[in-house]
Amino acid sequence: MRRLPVYFLLDTSGSMYGEPIQALNNALSGMINALRSDPQALDSLWISIITFDREVNEICPLTELAMFQLPEISCPQSGPTHTGKALEILYEKVQVDIIKSTPSQKGDWKPLFFLFTDGKPNDLLVYRNMIPKIKSLNFGAIICCAAGALADDSLLKELTNDVVHLDNADTTTLKQFFKWVSETIEQGSKSQGTGESVALPPPPSEITLVI
Amino acid sequence: MSIKTVKSTITGNTYQYIDNGDPKSGTAKNVYFSPDRKYVVAIFKEKQDHNQKERLKKITTDYLSRIKNNEGGNYYLDEIYRWPTDIIEDNGQTGIIVPIYNSKFFFNKGYANQDLIKGEEKNGKWFASASFRNKLFPLNLDQSELGKWLNYFQICVNLSRGVKKMHQMGLSHSDLSYNNVLVDPLTGSACMIDLDGLVVPGVFQAEVIGTADFIAPEVLASKHLGKTDPNRKLPNRLTDLHALACLIYMYLLHRHPLKGGKVHDLDTEKDDLLSMGEKALFVEHPTNKINKIKLNQIKKWDKYWADTDKLPYTITGPYLSKLFEKAFIDGLHNPMQRPTADEWEIALLKTTDLMQQCLNPLCDQKWYVFDNSNTPKCPFCDTKHKGTLPVLDFYYQFKPTVWKPENHRLMVYNNQYLFQWHVDRNITRNEKLSAAQKVPVGYFTFHNNKWVFVNQKLTSLKDLTEDKEIAIGEMLEITDNKKILLSKEEGGRVILITLANK
Ligand SMILES: Nc1ncnc2c1ncn2[C@@H]1O[C@H](COP(=O)(O)OP(=O)(O)OP(=O)(O)O)[C@@H](O)[C@H]1O
Repeated sequence: MRRLPVYFLLDTSGSMYGEPIQALNNALSGMINALRSDPQALDSLWISIITFDREVNEICPLTELAMFQLPEISCPQSGPTHTGKALEILYEKVQVDIIKSTPSQKGDWKPLFFLFTDGKPNDLLVYRNMIPKIKSLNFGAIICCAAGALADDSLLKELTNDVVHLDNADTTTLKQFFKWVSETIEQGSKSQGTGESVALPPPPSEITLVI
Repeated sequence: MSIKTVKSTITGNTYQYIDNGDPKSGTAKNVYFSPDRKYVVAIFKEKQDHNQKERLKKITTDYLSRIKNNEGGNYYLDEIYRWPTDIIEDNGQTGIIVPIYNSKFFFNKGYANQDLIKGEEKNGKWFASASFRNKLFPLNLDQSELGKWLNYFQICVNLSRGVKKMHQMGLSHSDLSYNNVLVDPLTGSACMIDLDGLVVPGVFQAEVIGTADFIAPEVLASKHLGKTDPNRKLPNRLTDLHALACLIYMYLLHRHPLKGGKVHDLDTEKDDLLSMGEKALFVEHPTNKINKIKLNQIKKWDKYWADTDKLPYTITGPYLSKLFEKAFIDGLHNPMQRPTADEWEIALLKTTDLMQQCLNPLCDQKWYVFDNSNTPKCPFCDTKHKGTLPVLDFYYQFKPTVWKPENHRLMVYNNQYLFQWHVDRNITRNEKLSAAQKVPVGYFTFHNNKWVFVNQKLTSLKDLTEDKEIAIGEMLEITDNKKILLSKEEGGRVILITLANK
């Protein structure tokens, strides 16, 4: 009935070229397969993937998990990171995609938003401009993942408190990160504690959560 | 990879497990397999405090022996529960020994079109949900995994017995959901897992409020209150009964009893809290229709089962319909009214006596419950029944010469068996039956264009209408309005035959 929309914004700027983009593709397909083996996720999850470098591409519009086909993600050999522009596209898409509750129809669950980047926004002005707008969309969670030494945690912290820093973007680290992402997505269907609900499951020990 | 040996803190027994550095892992435990794959060693990630250890001890000693030493002990321990049997200590960490899951609870094939979940566990959700049964759904389950409608009644019987036994022992599950039940439709099996979290009265309070979809309305409606507030409702025996009713409804009808079209709040979270909690309303409430499922708002994969006009809860027959009404109308906000696990078990078993095989070989459900009409048809594929259908109503002797109806009926189909629990009022059909009591006493068959009953074991069977004794090895013809005495012994029943669909 209700859908749980999940948006992935993935950095495909020049610095991802080579091994990192391979690792990202690998980890993503691992995550999609894990989700496609989970009957609860299949019941409600809708996924969208947007990549950004100089250009922003909605490579997968919001699609039901069972129908979802993961394309191979590629990136240019060099070029800037237009994170701000990506947020602009996200802002537009979310407004069109999300089914809002009306008195006669149940709306979607609050969408989740995962941002993965290995650098810092080259369009800082646009980026900062978009932050309040993105926040106004009322996401269920915004989680940023900064991979490698060049990623700037403090800029990401302006967008959300949940910033995960990965020391590098190799296959093992990314796999673990996306496993954690799928656990975060699946959380709603698990047993609930008697106390206040915790927003995120503990991240795997190899990842530093910047809070 | 290495084999480790660990020692019980209770019995001194030793256990072995294979540590390959990559255990199966849940939220609370890491799980390792024994070299002979008969049991697993499940080690808690967090240190267990005194109370938690006390609880584990009670579960693995007192409660285990109570199950073991009572009637049906083997049935419960082999079939219905994966009950922890011992506690171990390993480098300061606490662990439990649990018998390994039966191999029938792993997918042989899984999805029809790919191998992604082949060999994975059969979590109950796969079989509660409607999408996976829809052949057009891209990830539909293979037909060989789905079983027949009759199997889902068996699953529910097993589940009800599992809950019944816990409640008899004074335990409540407190987090009953499809995640904690493995299901195998092919054999009609259900197995309750993850039992180390049981609420043991006096020792341990509930740590969880349950899993979305199964949390009782009163628990959700009071969730904002502090744990010590007198109005705060935490999981207990009666909330288990709500979860059980939801599970049974979902396994039989593949939709949720409370998730309908009514919007209570424009905020999704608030709306959900209200529609499952304080404002919860049965989607098939006979008079208050505001929460009826709106088919145009349902995922296309789920529409078939979501259609409550085409497949209302009443297709589950008279006994279960009554219990669904008790659970979701009378008892939804009045926990004391909820049917007990025992009532569910009895109603489910009686319903299986009303089931008929669909004559359409392509029918997906293959079985349906006789609708008490003179022209029965399958509600799933609309195929009409061809030929006469004998309906047997049971009567018991109230006092000499006065026989009263039992409110129990048996539908006859070709090659159907009759059992002791039909014949003798003193025998209840439950897990305590001995092997001898499970042997049929005779069978019905359609022979030379006539319905007959062949007597295999009944020593005092009598055709009252024709005033004729029927010896073992003989048969009697089943005709309209005939009365038959099944046994002259105390408790022996009389059956009255009606031929439907003439
Ligand atoms: N008795 C068993 N036989 C075979 N496999 C088992 C057994 N018990 C546990 N497992 C495997 O280990 C995994 C984790 O176990 P379990 O679910 O009991 O742990 P948990 O930490 O309590 O998890 P959760 O509460 O998140 O479900 C299970 O998903 C299952 O694959």
